[in-house]
Amino acid sequence: MKRAFWAAGLALCFLGAACRAKREPVGAVRTPSPTVRPAPPALGFIDESSQGTAVDGGVLHRRLFGEPTTLNAVLQSSAPEAQVLQYVQRNLFDFDARLELVPGLAEGLEVSPDGLSYTITLRADAVWEDGWPVTSADAVFTIRKIVDPKIPANVFKPVFEEFASVEALDGRRFQVRFSRPYAFRSMAFVLPLLPEHRFAGENFLKSKQNRAPLANGPYRLVSWKTQESVELERNEKYPGRRGHFDRIVFRIVPDNTTAYRLLLAGELDEDQLDSGLKDRAARDPAFAVCCRLLEFYNLDYNYVVLNNRSPLFSDPRARRAVTMLLDRASIVRGLYKGSARIISGPWAPDSPAYQARVPPLPFDPAAAALLLDEAGWKDTDGDGVRDRDGRPFAFDLLVSAGSEVGRQIDEMLAAELARVGVTARIRTLEWAAFVEKIDAGDFEAASLAWSAVDPNPDPYFYWHSSQCSPSGLNNGCYANPEADRLMEAARLEKDPARRKEILGRFHRLVRDDAPAVFVVNAAQKVAFRRRVRGLTTSPLGLYGIWPGPLAWWAEPETMKAP
Amino acid sequence: MTAYILRRLLWAVPTLFGIAVVVFLLLHMAPGSPGAGGADSLRRASAKAAEEMRRQYGLDRPLPEQFAAWIGRVARLDLGESFVDHRPVSERILEALPHTLALNGLALFFALALAIPLGVVAGGSPESVFDRASGAVLFAMYSMPTFWAALLLQTLFAVRLRWLPLYGTAADAAPAGLAGLQDRLAHLALPVTCLTYGTLAFVARLVRSGVAEARTADYVIAARARGASRGQALWRHALRNALLPVITLFGLLLPALLSGSVIIERIFAWPGLGRLYLDSILARDYPVILALSLLSAVVTLGATLLSDIAVAAVDPRVRDGAAG
Repeated sequence: MKRAFWAAGLALCFLGAACRAKREPVGAVRTPSPTVRPAPPALGFIDESSQGTAVDGGVLHRRLFGEPTTLNAVLQSSAPEAQVLQYVQRNLFDFDARLELVPGLAEGLEVSPDGLSYTITLRADAVWEDGWPVTSADAVFTIRKIVDPKIPANVFKPVFEEFASVEALDGRRFQVRFSRPYAFRSMAFVLPLLPEHRFAGENFLKSKQNRAPLANGPYRLVSWKTQESVELERNEKYPGRRGHFDRIVFRIVPDNTTAYRLLLAGELDEDQLDSGLKDRAARDPAFAVCCRLLEFYNLDYNYVVLNNRSPLFSDPRARRAVTMLLDRASIVRGLYKGSARIISGPWAPDSPAYQARVPPLPFDPAAAALLLDEAGWKDTDGDGVRDRDGRPFAFDLLVSAGSEVGRQIDEMLAAELARVGVTARIRTLEWAAFVEKIDAGDFEAASLAWSAVDPNPDPYFYWHSSQCSPSGLNNGCYANPEADRLMEAARLEKDPARRKEILGRFHRLVRDDAPAVFVVNAAQKVAFRRRVRGLTTSPLGLYGIWPGPLAWWAEPETMKAP
Repeated sequence: MTAYILRRLLWAVPTLFGIAVVVFLLLHMAPGSPGAGGADSLRRASAKAAEEMRRQYGLDRPLPEQFAAWIGRVARLDLGESFVDHRPVSERILEALPHTLALNGLALFFALALAIPLGVVAGGSPESVFDRASGAVLFAMYSMPTFWAALLLQTLFAVRLRWLPLYGTAADAAPAGLAGLQDRLAHLALPVTCLTYGTLAFVARLVRSGVAEARTADYVIAARARGASRGQALWRHALRNALLPVITLFGLLLPALLSGSVIIERIFAWPGLGRLYLDSILARDYPVILALSLLSAVVTLGATLLSDIAVAAVDPRVRDGAAG
């Protein structure tokens, strides 16, 4: 519960900060739209684990947006795969709802004093569904596959970047060595294992195992009908906590409207809603009877990355001006109906690294105009558009097709920019084309969404100057030697308090350097049939945690006959 | 006739080759590249990993070399393997094919089976009440977008009346035997209806105008004069002539059997080729896109050839002209 208050308090203080900023003197430009303080959203951390008495039995019907491309845990790359695999294969360790590591297949983790070698002990009773024990040989096999350059294990590769060696010490213990210490290394062991004996002599990428994973978790695969469904049943060999449902059926339903109807018809128990369907659900009496809507914050946020290499955005004053021209408080009110939080840096407020004492830059068009003047961007030719050295301040603002919210944010930003003499042309690109431009660093500005799969707050891969696109993921090529130094220091700092302090200084620097417009952390909206109980939300959402969906259960009276 | 067919078959080879070149070029020139992952990717591939993938799939080779390698494999009937799940492309296509064939085959069958009698009755007495009323209804049907019709049908038959299932190809625990067939047909009903009515409207109007024109032709009047009944004159003589454009049209409709319908398959969560095609395009899964495009080209050429042969067989003017 403590967490809930913390989160709600943060939301309020943020909105307060944004509002306060507006009371500062505003120059000759225009006054911002009148401020109405939104009612604090009634959402936050939800924990029903102690409500009611969980009953075993029944079938849970969940939705997948798309077809899993594989059920090989090492090769997994998209959300549908992770959602299914969570039931079938346990990780060595998992995050719980408070983002603390809890044991899964492993029972112990020892770190050497130099922080380079990790010794892991597997549970003695960990077993594959075919009766083979889960051994250190499986772990060695899995880790060697992850670090194999020919294997696209994109989810796991980053934390194994400085991998040196792995060896089995005995049947249950193995040791992984790295070439450099890394403060967030323990996250590498939120790691699934593959059964070595099943892959013997198989081509890893084409193995039949990839569509028929061997379970070591609470459920096992019964069937996978391409583009239709994935069905699981309880794995009776699993020694740990039993799942409450007898079976889990994932229905693959790409269309949101169809999925909403299946939810109302009782053929789905759970469905993530888009904003249109959320409004529809709020007005729909049938929805109120059968279902409920959960709103909660996770670690996702959206931002508009600016290409720091472009002459338009190479000056931090010009970038800061862009941030100060986006009225984020009105985005929270209008676009999100209050269920979003303004952010001041590259994390969501619930990230362990986020510093509430770094308030966001204010929405202040007059001050932004002054900053642009200072940076040398003035309308010298009287055409209404600012220019410098003969180049007008005009750029393409890229957004991926289907990102409705991103486009609306871009439109608000473009409108404010136009008022101070900056032209932003919104360009919608199909996803693959969009990603190609972003990865290559071939853009001026682009709307992006950050989606967190783990709570690792390490900004190094995304904001360090050594990681500039196209070879790295610092897409806008933010480069500030002081920021680089802080990021490097945070990676090596073992003391959590000092690490937080270092990241706090980085946070403040990034806010003022404004390499991107950090917009908001918006609430997730997931609808459930009322019969489903025992839900727990976390900053990683409903799914990516332990026990997460494993703790769900259904009221017996509405249980479907088998 | 045989020479005509042979010549057409020979011509199909360069045509197919040309299509393959164009599709291949378009695909590689289009922005975006394989391995970028979808919008729901858990983590983006690093540049190093993406480079490794390009190397493994030979995407770093010059385009002509890539094309030669691909066309060489296709000539040996090897469609390659998917970039996405590394399964053989043929396996993925064969998995989706039956679903699309069932859906579009039934839709085409019903469209023709209903359109021809409708057209003959309407064309038999032009400007009658039936002709005008059916004309108005068919035009309305023809203009109605399928996604909208799909939602309306779902609301009425699946949500309100609960007569038909909302989506999918079969119930979770599909019963065996006759009951299983019934279950599958129930699941087919709504999507087939959505895919039928547009074609139905179009073909019915085509038949209607052909019959309306033919009913005053000399040979129909002569048939009547020889004592044929009104019905016989219409169904035996007028219809046969009115069917010529329908046969040509059939050649154009047949490829739809395989191309699938992206929208309807999405709304009804139908695991067919349309969804496979769309998913593959979004993921830039080159081998699957190329295979499906080629398949579509083969079927289109084949169907056009078949309909031309059929027309030639039915119409002596074409046959003699072609042979001579």
